[in-house]
Amino acid sequence: MAKSYDVRRLPGFGVIAVATFVLLYLPILVLVVFSFNAGPSQSEWDGFSLQWYYAAFANEQVQDVSIRSLWLAAVAASVATALAVPAALATTRVSRFPGQTMIYALINQPLMVPEIVTGIALLIVVAWVKVSTGYTGMGYLVAAHTAFCIPFAYLPIRARLETLDPTLETAASDLYASPLQAFRYITLPLLVPGIAAGFMLGFVISLDTVVITEFVKSAGQDTLPTYMLGQLRRVITPEMNAIATLFLALSLLFVTAFFLITRKRG
Amino acid sequence: MSGNEIEISGLGKVFGQGASAFRALSDINLTIGTGEFFTLLGPSGCGKTTLLRTIAGFEAPSSGSLRINGEEVAAKGPNARPVNTVFQNYALFPHMSVAQNIGFGLKMLGKPKSEIDATVAEMLRLVRMEAMKDRKPSEISGGQQQRVALARALAPRPRVLLLDEPLSALDLKLRKEMQSELKRLQSETGITFVFVTHDQEEALTMSDRIAVMSAGRILQLGTPHEIYHAPADRFVADFIGDTNFLTVPVAASDGQAATVTLPGGTQAAARLPEGMIPVTGQEVTAVVRPEQATLMPAGQGEMQATVGTSTFFGTDTHIHLTLSDGQGFILRRQNATDMASPEPGQTVGIGLGAGTLRILKD
Repeated sequence: MAKSYDVRRLPGFGVIAVATFVLLYLPILVLVVFSFNAGPSQSEWDGFSLQWYYAAFANEQVQDVSIRSLWLAAVAASVATALAVPAALATTRVSRFPGQTMIYALINQPLMVPEIVTGIALLIVVAWVKVSTGYTGMGYLVAAHTAFCIPFAYLPIRARLETLDPTLETAASDLYASPLQAFRYITLPLLVPGIAAGFMLGFVISLDTVVITEFVKSAGQDTLPTYMLGQLRRVITPEMNAIATLFLALSLLFVTAFFLITRKRG
Repeated sequence: MSGNEIEISGLGKVFGQGASAFRALSDINLTIGTGEFFTLLGPSGCGKTTLLRTIAGFEAPSSGSLRINGEEVAAKGPNARPVNTVFQNYALFPHMSVAQNIGFGLKMLGKPKSEIDATVAEMLRLVRMEAMKDRKPSEISGGQQQRVALARALAPRPRVLLLDEPLSALDLKLRKEMQSELKRLQSETGITFVFVTHDQEEALTMSDRIAVMSAGRILQLGTPHEIYHAPADRFVADFIGDTNFLTVPVAASDGQAATVTLPGGTQAAARLPEGMIPVTGQEVTAVVRPEQATLMPAGQGEMQATVGTSTFFGTDTHIHLTLSDGQGFILRRQNATDMASPEPGQTVGIGLGAGTLRILKD
């Protein structure tokens, strides 16, 4: 019997693998390590300290932008998820129709159009609306974040729906459930993992976004990432490392939750 | 059995439109009596499942009328019809317990909780699943899921229970068990069963009446006995059981019975199907069931043949023969102890008792 083909035995595989992981994780490791530095340097280790974490927590601006980021992510991910559920139903629970692939593509536009292009386009449109209405509130950021969160909420919900046996809904209607009852008692409960995953993914994506926020925000509407970017332009202190580390922890928490939810029940 | 539960007339179903249209059902006329165990039998793609889904309300008919208990339901949705379905893959709700699954129909009908609980308990007893009531469908075996699917469909006390090949996913032993279980449930509940299967043996053993379907049409409607012993055409004869087809010329015919000339020259009487009056000399197809022919010493019987291979099946042996004009013939002989199979190459006689030979409509 021939041995099965094993990519791990190819020459250079180990070196490439290690190099890839170093590239992926070394910079993040350095960032995290120096967030605990006692001194103000990013290159010289002066001993362990939590002072930059205290400083970050005491910084009112950091508090302010963090709350705005979390609020924006929560609102945008919620609205995007609420819109993604009917979109997913309408593209999976129907017989194939002409232009279905086109609809997928249209819904997933934010995955394909470069963010900078969307940013510039939004900048122009938002400027028009601002001038003609005078409104400068958070609505622009909410709308922009919601729009690009939709595909991230849509994809896991659609994936979940595609694994759901449509016969279950047929069986519900056979057992005297109206279409609404079939959705309420059968489809929706079975869809919860997909909906939760979609929300988590949308939340993390909104939390992460710099480019679109940068173009759309009005004065005093900095989110955590745009605030960090602004600070870095001036001076780099380990306080930024501490904020970034906390931010990383939060993102990891949501991404981990996303994986746990999607893995459960296949 | 009294009255008609289901009356179907002129029912047709076309999928798609224009050039890609597919006619799944053509001019179905059918009456199913109350309390009857009725089977739709046919190969895959014959339209039997489409007909069942049309009765359930999952497909709207393209033409014709469908009455359940005297009421026209062709335009009604599945949730407005007094029928319930046992699905081929059971379609149990995975997030609900066995008891919740069984109670779902009654809950949707808005029955009070006390009534639901009582009926669920009764159904659990009926299908002997009391011990499993709090389990999830994924935590019980295939046979148990089958019982739960049955209980769930029976709980709302439908007028008609529709069963879409419900036993096809079970292994042979469990299938036999569930066959008698289904018969028991039907006689205990008195509900009309409409059963879809492609398994002719299952259809013969379980049904009061069978409709044999092919290409969207009902070819024959009758009791298992009629279907087996008096197949309407070649398709039915071929599909139900094993059959020997003999091409033979007609020697004489009077409209009631005909005499045909068998290979070897012997003349024998053969039953004619209704409405067929063949002319003398016309070649017709005559059929004989393998178990209705008897093996005889050479020179005796209606036909002479050369023995080919014999296959031992336990209760009987299938003997492959070649008739004097070259046509093949299979004879099934019931086994007894110390019975030797005939030697290959040996010449034997074939005895055809009165009434075993039947002419088929072309």
